[in-house]
Amino acid sequence: MNIESLMTDVCGPLVLLAPTVLFAILGGLTLTGRPLPEKLINRMCISAGSLGFVASLLMLGLMLAGHSRHVAIEFGEWIHLPNFHLNVKFVFDRLSVPLAILSFLLCSTIGSFATRYLHREPGYQRFFVLLSLFMAGMVIASVAGTVETLFTGWEFVGLSSALLVAFFQERPAPARNAFRVWVVYRISDAALLLAAVALHHLTGEGDFDRALGGGPWPEGVTPLSAYNSLIVGSLLLFAAAGKSALVPFSGWLPRAMEGPTPSSAVFYGALSVHLGAFLLLRVSPLLDQSLILCVLVTALGLATSVYAYLAGAVQTDIKSALSFASLSQVGLIVAEIGVGFRYLALIHLLGHACLRTLQFLRAPSLLADFNSLENAIGQRLPSVDRGRWLSTRAYRFALARGFLDALLLRLVVTPFVQTFRWCDRQERRWAAWLAGPGAESRSKPEEWS
Amino acid sequence: MSDRHENMGVSLDDHAIGSGPHGDALLLSRIEHAAHYLPAQGPIAVFIHHNTLHGFEHLPFREAVESGARVFGCEPYLPEPDYRAAFRKGRIREVDLEAAMRDEYGDRLSEALAPALTRQKLYAAILQYRFPTGTAEELRWYMAEHESLRRVRPDVSAVVRSRFIAETRRWAMRDLRAGTTREPRLRGVESWGDSEWESFALESLWQACRDRAADVPATPEPASRPLRVRDLLLRQTGVDADLLVDDILIPFVAAFLDQGVAHWPLPDREAGFYRSFIHLFGEARHTAHAWHADLLRELSRLHESHTTPLASIRESLAELGVAPADEEQFFIETLLALRGWAGMVRQVETRADRVIRPIPAGSLVEFLAIRLILDRVAANYIAGRLMTKSVSLAELRTQLPLPAPRSRSKEQRAFPLFQLAQIWGWTAADVLQLSPAEMASILTAIETFTTVERRRVLHAAYERRFRTTVFDALMLQARTPAPTPAAPRFQAVFCIDEREESFRRHLEEIAPDCVTFGTAGFFGVAVYFRGIEDAHFTPLCPIVIRPKHWLIEESDDDVAATGRRSRTRKLIGEASRRVQVGSRGLGAGAILTTAFGVLATAPLVARTLLPRLTARIRSTFQRVVAAPTTHLHLERTTAEPGPDGSSIGFSVSEMADIGERVLRDIGMTRVFSRLVFFIAHGSGSQNNPHKSAYDCGACGGSPGSPNGRSLAQMLNDPRVRDRLRTRGIAIPDSTWFVGGLHNTCADSIRLFDTGAIPASHQAEFDRIEGELNEAADRNAHERCRRFETAPLDLTPRAAHNHVEARSEDLAQTRPELGHATNAICIVGRRERTRGLFLDRRAFLTSYDPTQDTPEAAVLTRTLQAVVPVCGGINLEYYFSRTDNARYGCGSKLPHNVTGLLGVMDGAASDLRTGLPWQMVEIHEPVRMVMVIETTPEIMLGVMAKNPSIDQFFRNEWSHLALLDPHSPRLKWFVDGEFRDVEPSVESLPHSNSSADWYRGWRDHLEFASIRSPRSPA
Repeated sequence: MNIESLMTDVCGPLVLLAPTVLFAILGGLTLTGRPLPEKLINRMCISAGSLGFVASLLMLGLMLAGHSRHVAIEFGEWIHLPNFHLNVKFVFDRLSVPLAILSFLLCSTIGSFATRYLHREPGYQRFFVLLSLFMAGMVIASVAGTVETLFTGWEFVGLSSALLVAFFQERPAPARNAFRVWVVYRISDAALLLAAVALHHLTGEGDFDRALGGGPWPEGVTPLSAYNSLIVGSLLLFAAAGKSALVPFSGWLPRAMEGPTPSSAVFYGALSVHLGAFLLLRVSPLLDQSLILCVLVTALGLATSVYAYLAGAVQTDIKSALSFASLSQVGLIVAEIGVGFRYLALIHLLGHACLRTLQFLRAPSLLADFNSLENAIGQRLPSVDRGRWLSTRAYRFALARGFLDALLLRLVVTPFVQTFRWCDRQERRWAAWLAGPGAESRSKPEEWS
Repeated sequence: MSDRHENMGVSLDDHAIGSGPHGDALLLSRIEHAAHYLPAQGPIAVFIHHNTLHGFEHLPFREAVESGARVFGCEPYLPEPDYRAAFRKGRIREVDLEAAMRDEYGDRLSEALAPALTRQKLYAAILQYRFPTGTAEELRWYMAEHESLRRVRPDVSAVVRSRFIAETRRWAMRDLRAGTTREPRLRGVESWGDSEWESFALESLWQACRDRAADVPATPEPASRPLRVRDLLLRQTGVDADLLVDDILIPFVAAFLDQGVAHWPLPDREAGFYRSFIHLFGEARHTAHAWHADLLRELSRLHESHTTPLASIRESLAELGVAPADEEQFFIETLLALRGWAGMVRQVETRADRVIRPIPAGSLVEFLAIRLILDRVAANYIAGRLMTKSVSLAELRTQLPLPAPRSRSKEQRAFPLFQLAQIWGWTAADVLQLSPAEMASILTAIETFTTVERRRVLHAAYERRFRTTVFDALMLQARTPAPTPAAPRFQAVFCIDEREESFRRHLEEIAPDCVTFGTAGFFGVAVYFRGIEDAHFTPLCPIVIRPKHWLIEESDDDVAATGRRSRTRKLIGEASRRVQVGSRGLGAGAILTTAFGVLATAPLVARTLLPRLTARIRSTFQRVVAAPTTHLHLERTTAEPGPDGSSIGFSVSEMADIGERVLRDIGMTRVFSRLVFFIAHGSGSQNNPHKSAYDCGACGGSPGSPNGRSLAQMLNDPRVRDRLRTRGIAIPDSTWFVGGLHNTCADSIRLFDTGAIPASHQAEFDRIEGELNEAADRNAHERCRRFETAPLDLTPRAAHNHVEARSEDLAQTRPELGHATNAICIVGRRERTRGLFLDRRAFLTSYDPTQDTPEAAVLTRTLQAVVPVCGGINLEYYFSRTDNARYGCGSKLPHNVTGLLGVMDGAASDLRTGLPWQMVEIHEPVRMVMVIETTPEIMLGVMAKNPSIDQFFRNEWSHLALLDPHSPRLKWFVDGEFRDVEPSVESLPHSNSSADWYRGWRDHLEFASIRSPRSPA
């Protein structure tokens, strides 16, 4: 067996199959309604994660040994029309392999952590089903070779994240906040879908290695014109902004802290929040084509970074403080992508994910850490005042998390809802008129609603 | 509401509130009264267990839990299914249920509601069997789902079931068919089989119950009008004004109270809550949020008119239309809406000494003022958007229509009778024979036996069974206790903590020639202590005592080496602080994460997968900066104690006082072994904001090692011994005292100042140290039976490794189970209970009644400490377990440490007080059974002189019993007098060792007598 077939027939499929089969088994068994023993779930999750981890490491080793920078695995062409075709294709390159390794490493570590953390929790099994869905989503999105496969992984990640925010479904706040997260995710999904359609329309392809140019990442040159790149790129930037909580979608980030600590760690500290940045890295050939797009990406990244820095400074709870700190780095990573430092952004992303996961998992140690630092230094910790040059107004802005949620509510949600309410009223009126005068009493709206 | 407060409301109403100083005082006193209902939990780093319903202690327990439940919207007792499950397991028996009903209802029980149906029979059936209640729709669903009209309840016995069907059949064939009109339901009756008859019996019974229930008029439930406009709006419109208010108030109050998490402190915090809030929001001109616009207008008006907080509260009351009579109740409900935060404002303003950044007194009033402004602006905003015409909030309160009172449908009323009839085997004919008056009294009896009443009886039975087993165990064990050696090889003194019960028992089994004692774990040494690696002094004593002495730990090393080490530590500390702060910054964060971020995977993976190994490696590294050996700076040279220099420590006579007091407390005045140990306790765990709740309560939620260590050092001092000898306590020269620490989580034993042990004692010491370590292994083994992840077949050594891993594991939410299962407190000589397996449920306080003064000075001071400490722990566990979501702080999993003060659920919830689910999960919520070895006369004398102890027992916040000092007789304090108790069983089960008794069991265990074959005859 030569290196080539080892990569395409063993390692690549293993990387994909490990998490998806895990999800299929766990999810399928859950559907039967019989609870599984905690130990069994844990073993399945850890072994699938480790298998994937080893397979992706092996892939990296083989690629380094064979000097190949681009390994594609195709699972057939599913639709072929004169101007349209749909491939299921996965690509292993300098971008996807590190991210897949990271996903496996963090997901299995978190899985092992959660085994003890969630012991005897009624939703134990549900947590692991969602974690395996999340892992599958992350891996599919990382190694996706076409925009459609990427969308699949993207959806898996979104669905599992929203459901994990609502993990404590018996309380109203998690359900309410999960709904917010879900809405933002859906909007960014819509943008990604539009981008996919636009890409197909413009190039006839959804394959990254053709639509975005041939060479291995990050050297491809897209056949799209600057103008078309800008259109597709803006849609993708919109999608990335929603997923990575960039301005103006940042409001959902602290809301997502409702789930158990390990899920907050893996989603908002480590993987989920970086997915938008990853998308931009993946489509970086588009950025090379359009200067305006680069400026947009950089500006959005910097704006997010400054915003998160300010909002993070006033947070008084450790998880929010960490999540905004996380966001400020994600903003910087996005800005680095916009400026063109692709490798730097990738390294920054990987390092940040690892460090932040550790910090999130240790978040409940805050009191002990404060105490031991005070003891080491021998005095009260000097207070940090980052806002001493800034005004009270800036503080209010930061404390209200930039009024971003309120602005979205006022400028987007309310007009949207009002439009449809108006349509609804018109329809009722129309229906009432058609039904004649006798039916009026039945359709009269209630006084208090 | 309790009577006391209703009365108070009435007495205060006579005065109308003006704005003068008198009116201010009245308003403040009402707020003050309302504040008594707030949780009394302080900053979480120092967790003091206290009675969750401390504000209700003037009431009898039962009344207090039920009115507390109404005020706080909580549950007073466990849910009914939990008690029924206990019934099925034999944890509650029928005798208990009968006794509990007799105590509660007395003669009313024998009242006949109908022929062959007494109230007792009715209540007993309702308590033992489960039937659903619910809306008419839920009931319909239930009946369809459970085939209620086709199958007799599965828990009805076969005899009753077949009689029920047979009698229905007889009735149908004789009476129904005999009538002139043919009953249509009986068509084809000749060919019916069993199942047709069964469903006919049920259907005719159901119809009879429904028809007869329809004749009895239903009393509609009275509708009450809520005091807070938010509640009114929520009920009427489904829109929650508190969501708007919380959105702005929670971040602000968190920022105001923050002790150093934020990297940008609240500007103008010194101006106080009210001013700072108005300053922050009142000067804004633009806002994104629609309702904030109204708020900003209102705030700038208040700002410009210089309205004081009190005046603003008065304005709000007027605008909200709160009647003076309702004010106090209104304040209670308003403050309780965010009880955790309001309570923390209260704690920080009153205990400024316990925080780094204090807040001014009066902050709670300012908090209330702001809350009311937010409440009314939000309510106005919602009302304005939802209502067609504009109305003021005061009008809204009176005009908003209340929902029509719902009365029960006839199906809802008939269903319980339908179920009960099956249990008793009543047929439709039996129900139809009831007179209207009988029917009415049955239905009324069912409907007035509400869930709270039912659970009150069930809970009484639940506690009764437990109390009986404790009384039995103590009386029977006191007849033949395990032998206590007259000249023990060594003596060991532990904390009274119920977690040490098993440790002492195992130690006594390993070394039958030793004697153990229990005393409050600060060992009489109330100090502010600073360890060698500590930056600050920590008070180590019960929270009610304010220490007068200071104590520090010093290195034995030379000055240069010590300085070098502390500089290294400081360097490392400052570097880690920089990393910690920098990782939340921009530039530093970018450099850190890019350059070193990937390195974080090493600790991440290692600590998650191999917690125990990683901890070993870490402690090896820490040894570099830790002093090799240390000593306590114990002796003071100046006259007055103080926190620095030579004023640290105690004078020799103070040491003698402390020593004498502890020795007399525990009755160790005549026999001294060659080695005596004072072993304090603490708990080591990772990633655990509630860590302090696992530490020693008698040391203010810290480990008590310096206390035990310093007491040993004091008593080794020949000058102290000389003084004690003159006071009648002769400690032989051959006796040596050693201090130690028991880590209750990792079950490790650390002994201090072992280098100072005389060579003559070394060999004996080594042997005892080995025995202590073996006791630790066995203790770990006994604890492991409670951990589901620890297999039941572990060896003691493996069990020890298991608990060590727990204490070092970042992911472990149950490093240990804390005080869970605590339920007994015994004050008396150990020899009375030695050898009794108490399942880690008993606080054990050593007290020798034969050595006490005639006026019981020792007992008095012992109870003054033991009753509030053990009672507080027991009651906090009771409430946190009974209603974990509200009295407790819910699951640990979503907890988020906030402001270094407490935990929230997620990013913006109320501050959660009480104990987390993971701590109380296996706890049985029962009141403590306190057993004191003394006589009724002495006890009544102590109670008469100590009103708080008297109130605690008379209001039944704990059960009280006295063990006679000279015989195995027990008297139980009930209805204000001591009554003799007789054992309900002949003998206790016994076993050769603790391990033989508990092996293989996870659940609570019966008490047993451990008769070690090795024990001396």
